[in-house]
Amino acid sequence: MKISKTISALILSSLLVISSWGSAHAKRLTAAVADWTGGEITCQVAVSILEDELGYKIKRVVFPSGTGLWEAIAAGEIDFACESWPSYAEADTVMLKGPLVYDGDTKFMYEGDGSVKLLGTAGIIGMSDYYIPKYAADSLGIKSWKDLNKHKDKFATIETGGKGRLIGCPVAGWNCHDQKRLDLLGIDFQADELGTEAAAIAEAVAAYERKEPFLLYLWEPHWFFGAYEMVGINLPDHKTCDSFTEANNWKDCGTKAWPATGWAKDYTMNYGNPATFAKAEHADAVKFFSKMKFENADQAVMLVEVKQKKRDLKEVVAEWKKNNPNKWKSWLP
Amino acid sequence: MSNSISITKEKSKYSKNIIAYSVALVIFLVALWLSSQSEGPSKFPKVVTDEFTFTAWVNEGEDYLKKNYRWFTKIIAGYIKAGYYFLEDFLLDSPWVLVTAILFLPCLAVGGLRLALYSLFVVYFWGGTGMWNESLQTVALMGLSVVLCVFFGVILGVLCSQSDRFEAFMKPILDTMQVMPAFVYLFPALFFFGIGGAPAILATMIYAMPPVIRLTNIGIRQVPAQTVESATSFGSNKLQLLFKIKIPLSLPSIMMGINQVIMMALALVVLACFIGAEGIGGQVWLAIRNLDVGWAMEGGLCILFMAIMFDRFSMALSKEPEVIPNDVQKFYLLPQTWERFVIARIIEKPLEYGHYIINFICIKITNSVAYLFQILISLFSKSTAKDIGEFISNRYYIIPSFIIFFIISFIDSNLFSFGSFPEDWKLSIRQPIEDGVKALTVHPGFIAFAKGLRGFVYLNLLRPLDIFLTHIPWWYTMAIFVAIGYFTVGIRFAIITALLLMFIGACGIWSQSMITLSSVLVSVILCFVIGVPLGVIASYNKRYRDIQNVVLDAMQTLPYFCYLIPVLMFFGGGIVSAVLATVIYSIPPIIRLTALGLTQVSGTYSEVSRSFGGTLIQTLRKVKFPLAVPSLVMGFNQTVIMAFAMQIVTPLIGGKGLGLEVFNGLARSDTGRGLAAGIGIVLLAIIIDRITLAWTRKQREALGL
Repeated sequence: MKISKTISALILSSLLVISSWGSAHAKRLTAAVADWTGGEITCQVAVSILEDELGYKIKRVVFPSGTGLWEAIAAGEIDFACESWPSYAEADTVMLKGPLVYDGDTKFMYEGDGSVKLLGTAGIIGMSDYYIPKYAADSLGIKSWKDLNKHKDKFATIETGGKGRLIGCPVAGWNCHDQKRLDLLGIDFQADELGTEAAAIAEAVAAYERKEPFLLYLWEPHWFFGAYEMVGINLPDHKTCDSFTEANNWKDCGTKAWPATGWAKDYTMNYGNPATFAKAEHADAVKFFSKMKFENADQAVMLVEVKQKKRDLKEVVAEWKKNNPNKWKSWLP
Repeated sequence: MSNSISITKEKSKYSKNIIAYSVALVIFLVALWLSSQSEGPSKFPKVVTDEFTFTAWVNEGEDYLKKNYRWFTKIIAGYIKAGYYFLEDFLLDSPWVLVTAILFLPCLAVGGLRLALYSLFVVYFWGGTGMWNESLQTVALMGLSVVLCVFFGVILGVLCSQSDRFEAFMKPILDTMQVMPAFVYLFPALFFFGIGGAPAILATMIYAMPPVIRLTNIGIRQVPAQTVESATSFGSNKLQLLFKIKIPLSLPSIMMGINQVIMMALALVVLACFIGAEGIGGQVWLAIRNLDVGWAMEGGLCILFMAIMFDRFSMALSKEPEVIPNDVQKFYLLPQTWERFVIARIIEKPLEYGHYIINFICIKITNSVAYLFQILISLFSKSTAKDIGEFISNRYYIIPSFIIFFIISFIDSNLFSFGSFPEDWKLSIRQPIEDGVKALTVHPGFIAFAKGLRGFVYLNLLRPLDIFLTHIPWWYTMAIFVAIGYFTVGIRFAIITALLLMFIGACGIWSQSMITLSSVLVSVILCFVIGVPLGVIASYNKRYRDIQNVVLDAMQTLPYFCYLIPVLMFFGGGIVSAVLATVIYSIPPIIRLTALGLTQVSGTYSEVSRSFGGTLIQTLRKVKFPLAVPSLVMGFNQTVIMAFAMQIVTPLIGGKGLGLEVFNGLARSDTGRGLAAGIGIVLLAIIIDRITLAWTRKQREALGL
């Protein structure tokens, strides 16, 4: 009895699988879901247009951003990813080949091996800096990063002891090099890496509510600036340092160049696997990506909807698509 | 005369203890002095770490393998991927009613009405919370992993049972498979088998296969010798013996193995979201990244309910059907013990009739189908026809189930389409959870408590221990470990310990390992402080113990990833939160084994103690606890292992140490770095595991158990 039950259940399940019918194969692509909300929105805009307008079936893969993602795309495991910020991607100069064009201007010429294809600009222009709340800047008279050391005890927490605390770049893979920057600039602060954007922001919100001074790494566009008054601390202007790579054992160029400077203005881009996008069946997708130009203002509005009003991201993007057809219809092939 | 001997014995034991304690104290004081002397964290000599570029070697080796053997691994991955996509597409594209029926009917057939109703609830929960697709993706991943695990596991298990040499060969391999944290191979798997389903399934096979191999082996080896002998005397050859006698007889044991495989596979499949496998795991991770507690909770519950369903289903498969006396009414829905209530009997009556009717229909349908087959096939061969006819009519659930599946898909494609899960049936617990959490987090009393706890754990436990452990010179720490290893296990183990620690140091991850060690120690201390009293209460109060066991069962069913959620709710991100999450995950064994140890101390001991006038506390302290020590140490051992395992996911909410190294390795696509850190975790876990195990054995011997 028991054995027959067992066998019957096993047969039942295996027969089910065998007797099932395959589905018609749609055009499939695999996309990486970005791990910060702005990137998630940009990606959802691209993915929903590919799905609704160009008849794709897109697999969304949750994968941490960083060099690993670039390698996964080069290997063809993931077909494309959205809104890469050049300052954060160490792999871009090695793997991309060709010009990054924004509004007809060539912003950067990549001379890598071409193992990853530059699909075109995403449209978003990003800026990153360290910020302090306005109340702290006013009351302590902090005008630039040079004033931070004087007030480091006000920025200290139990975890940092005598040093000030920077709520730093949350993910190591983003290559912010916060601690290195602080050390090079002689700012006696400790960078805390909290693991996720959400955790860092949660800390910042709590500190703001308590009206404590705090130093926060952040980027624009971000919903945080809509809700709270923050001022940048004017890090030195960006200057590249060619020797500062992992391969070169992080050999820095001193206090005048990256990472002792702020970030460059980031013309963000979409990138994908060259072999995939060379296929004729994806020609429409290539055309779409070359035309896509999603703007900061649009993303900022949607960020507030998603993060502050806690609405579903897909819903917000669908709504934006419905209300602003003129903005994205021109991206279609 | 004998008296004086016992006194001197007592004395020598006493003085021995004194010596041991004072030696420990001196060692500790020296460590304290050394760590206060050192300027920064202790570093391994640069000469060694520069020469020993393990990370680079691994990466070079990986590049080589990638270049030369990737075509091969890709082919394997291709097959698995095809199977997975096939299953996934089938589940996702089928009308939801069909999927429900596919889960409902086997549950009804195997587990009865109760399980079937439960399965309906589970399916409703998946759909209602809007995680229909993700849940089915997880089911598909898990299902395929389990099938592959069982297939290869049973083969390997049978081989083990046939050859002692092969068994001896497999044993250390199985041990390693079980101890190694899944992350260590999860992400090299990525580079050989690609992203998504295939590496997830292969990694799951590594993680979940050992129990089925072990239990198949044991089951076959335990078949009674008489049975084997009588079969042989009737002239069975070795193969017949194996397939007709041994394997059928060991089926219960194999089924136990399958049950464990299902649970372990589920845990890993959820974790596999880190290498891009779809499913609920990805949802939970997204939710954690958004600090959205309600969402994460819904995902966690989807997994928990799914796990319970599969657990009960596989348990029902391996269980003997209950035998109920003829004069007692069989209950289908309510507990059988309620048979004495009239109302319950009345409620059950219609169910009983329903059962008879369905049974009757099923048997009739099946028999007629069987008869049809018999006639058809008897045109060719009479004896096979009879066999097949019997085969079909014995399994009277299958044919009707298939007829139902067929009807559903027929209606769906021809009359009206069921489509995906109806959106009106939404069930959301996100908002209430979110509101509850918000209410609690602004509650001044709770804020004070949370802040106080956070401050206390950090200032009094974590930071001092962090500084202490990282600042002690590496050679001193190593010497202590080696000495402990020597005194508890033996010279061979001491040498191995030294080598393993050398490896950690030479990889340049000494201070990270010390941070991990301190996080684990703090977590384990907290587990003890909270868990032992709970265990003591449980050992005295049976009702409390029963309730607690249910909770602990649920806790152990839940994949460890989900423990980040409640901590994140109340404590935000940070290193203290990481420790608290570890505590929640790894506390069940210490509670369970404390209760077990104390209840197992046989009644006579405590009675004797009572009759000599010992109070409750005295009995507990002087008699029960000493006798329960081996059990307590076992609990400690398991807690430590689980705490180490948890270190892999805590970086998501701000954990530091080796776990963070593994994560950074993943994000930077630096396999060597991740592997070194992962191995570091394994090595620390193994060293502590062996030491405590050896110590337990000594204690047991001393107690004469």
